[in-house]
Amino acid sequence: MKYIQYILLAGILSSFLACEDEFLNPLPDSAIVVDAFFQSDDDVLAGIIGVYDAIQGVNENTNTSLISSNRGIQFEYMLSEMRSDNTRTATLEGTKADFHRYRVDPDNVQSEDYYQSMYDIIFRANNILNFINVADESNQSLYAAEAKFLRAFAYFKLVRLFGDVPLVTRVVGAQENEDLFTRVPAEQIYDQIVADLEEAVDNLEAGSKSRASKAAAQGLLAKVFLTRESPNYSGAQQLCEAIVNSGAFSLQENFRDVFYEELNDEIIFAVQYELGNTLESQSFSSEFTATFRQGREDGHNMVNDNLIAEFDAIGGNRTAESYWFTGTWYEVTKFLPEGSDITTTPPTYGPSPRDAGNDWIVLRYADVLLMHAEAILAGGTETASSAAIDSYMAVRERAGFDSIADRPALLTKDALLAERRVELAFENHRFYDLLRFGVADAVLGAHAAEMGYSSYSARKLLLPIPAREINLSGGLLNQNPGY
Amino acid sequence: MNNRFNFIRSTGQLLLCSALVLLLHSCHDSFDFELPEANSKLDTVLPSADFSYISNADDFTLVEFTNLSFESTQYQWDFGGGNTSTEVDPSFKFSGEGTFPVTLTATDANGASDQVMIEVVVENIFVAITPSIVNGDFEDGQNDWKFSSFTDGTTSPFNSSSDGSWLDYDGADTGAKTGGAKWTMSTSAEDYVSSNTRYAYQALVVSPNTEYVLEYEYAIKNDGTQAPGDNRIVGGIIDGHFEDGKDAIVSFNAEPLLKFVGDMDLGKGVFTTVEAKFTSNATGEVAILIYGVTDVDAYVDNVKVYPAE
Repeated sequence: MKYIQYILLAGILSSFLACEDEFLNPLPDSAIVVDAFFQSDDDVLAGIIGVYDAIQGVNENTNTSLISSNRGIQFEYMLSEMRSDNTRTATLEGTKADFHRYRVDPDNVQSEDYYQSMYDIIFRANNILNFINVADESNQSLYAAEAKFLRAFAYFKLVRLFGDVPLVTRVVGAQENEDLFTRVPAEQIYDQIVADLEEAVDNLEAGSKSRASKAAAQGLLAKVFLTRESPNYSGAQQLCEAIVNSGAFSLQENFRDVFYEELNDEIIFAVQYELGNTLESQSFSSEFTATFRQGREDGHNMVNDNLIAEFDAIGGNRTAESYWFTGTWYEVTKFLPEGSDITTTPPTYGPSPRDAGNDWIVLRYADVLLMHAEAILAGGTETASSAAIDSYMAVRERAGFDSIADRPALLTKDALLAERRVELAFENHRFYDLLRFGVADAVLGAHAAEMGYSSYSARKLLLPIPAREINLSGGLLNQNPGY
Repeated sequence: MNNRFNFIRSTGQLLLCSALVLLLHSCHDSFDFELPEANSKLDTVLPSADFSYISNADDFTLVEFTNLSFESTQYQWDFGGGNTSTEVDPSFKFSGEGTFPVTLTATDANGASDQVMIEVVVENIFVAITPSIVNGDFEDGQNDWKFSSFTDGTTSPFNSSSDGSWLDYDGADTGAKTGGAKWTMSTSAEDYVSSNTRYAYQALVVSPNTEYVLEYEYAIKNDGTQAPGDNRIVGGIIDGHFEDGKDAIVSFNAEPLLKFVGDMDLGKGVFTTVEAKFTSNATGEVAILIYGVTDVDAYVDNVKVYPAE
């Protein structure tokens, strides 16, 4: 043991070195090193499941760190729904209250976390594609399709929220700055998304709702086609019709069941969570409360008056299932934690509202039906197409409207947008819908003026590229205008 | 020792020499860079110009620009016709509908610049209000068609009748007559004007300065005498809202937004549909006025107002 001091010294020195390495060379969010060597088909499959883990994200109540926690899609409502005219926060405290006022800074923790989470999905997917040859030959095309679906899912989110972003489609090292930090024009990213999703449509199978399926890829691709600067309306229409004609999906009779019967017939793709399991649960259900506070942080997604007015006009029986008035706030009821009862005073929120198990619905059949009408409308202001009006009316009839008396002779773009707003409220569609319908600046500009959000300008339709990424990029990444 | 000293000295000289060479060489190298100032770097991030635009909600020809340029600090806008601006986010009022090339030059502090030209489309894409006519099918008798008051006249708007159109308000043929409004010689206007003259009036709010259609059906009996200038049903739009019917009629006679005279006397129960266009006023406050000038019974039903295509 006479060398113990040297061993200790070496240990201390190397720990310094490790620390130095981590502190001085933080990995960019858009980087991942090849940290897993897949050796078997099972390993590749486990890797794919790992991508869903990245989408699912870490519950804020499980890991409370504000930095680099990979919340996955659990924070998405802040970046999308609260940046639309639908909702806001109850108080003006903290960076989470910046979204609805269009005051997000480049160092906003939630925005950066989301950016990082999406790249986490992308890099995990790239990693799988890197090791695809390890999988059984019969599974390779299926696994590759699933990885590409997930990569496209993340890029589609990124490109709409942040604009031009780095496009990384292979495993890259932490030092490959050109690949990691070169912003690629959005249209080029869309080309990649379309290529990935077309492969997914061709190779994925029907069946799963909690993992990628053929229908999920078709639905997502249809939305991509509708979103692109030069939309492919006929392509979107065919994809929606393929989903409809598959006969695998149908509208729930009761609107409430869409949200409280997990993986029901209406769900095409959902991210699953598990009640009470700290590693597999979500925090947003509790964050949507304010009057009877359930979350570690809460008072989020408070319903705006002009959405309530829209519900009063065209909500039908959806109104009672979408939000409720607590006496103080209008609060979302689509994702109440399991065991909740809001009919009692005070309401109860079940055994573990902070570890909620409500799934996050990515794509459901009503969305596809309304996209079908949107594709036929093809950018016009109105259509008399009975196919389009049929799809639109199917959604409205479930909401309690009459198939004859309430059927319009013409379906207008405005009516379709409003219908999407109430049908899909609080499901993070509104912001993207406004962009896709080409009215984001007009609607949100008027909304900001009405609410007194003086920071708004059309530049705020894009979020800032996280400052941390710009700092790491050595001058390669530039910031979006207006930040 | 001498030898050894010499060896050290010569080695020392050699080292000194090589050090000098290296030093000079490296100096030479660093002087080779064209650095304008100490520690400055070449700007590799150059401006790129871009913008979006939106028409003002109240005046579509007033276009509000939003600068979306990267990496730039100074802006030069050219709206055509010698109109320019150096604001970040200017507004510009164009002459009317059309497509106008607008050029933005974005410049950074080093003088590097980028230019973009975008064809700005100025068009009126606003959607006109469709007013809802209350009791447009007259199923609810005289309700919602009365003036509040009528100096030297009556606020009674017409005779309620069960001899209205065969069509429902939504156009469905019911196979039976529906309720309607009726005028007779004693309730007629113009040549027959009296304190008994009846006018149907309903105030509407429509989009300002917008083309609309007034639609209604009328029928005139064909079995009697003619009023001076033919038996007729007059339908029109008054410029404004009026409390007193007398003022409304004065305004309508002086300058109506629309006056349509229908004299198709095809007989009781045989309706003619009128679709008459008018342009709303600057306030959007207009009113429907309908009356008869007829020796025989005349009927009106299914009154509608909607934006013209």
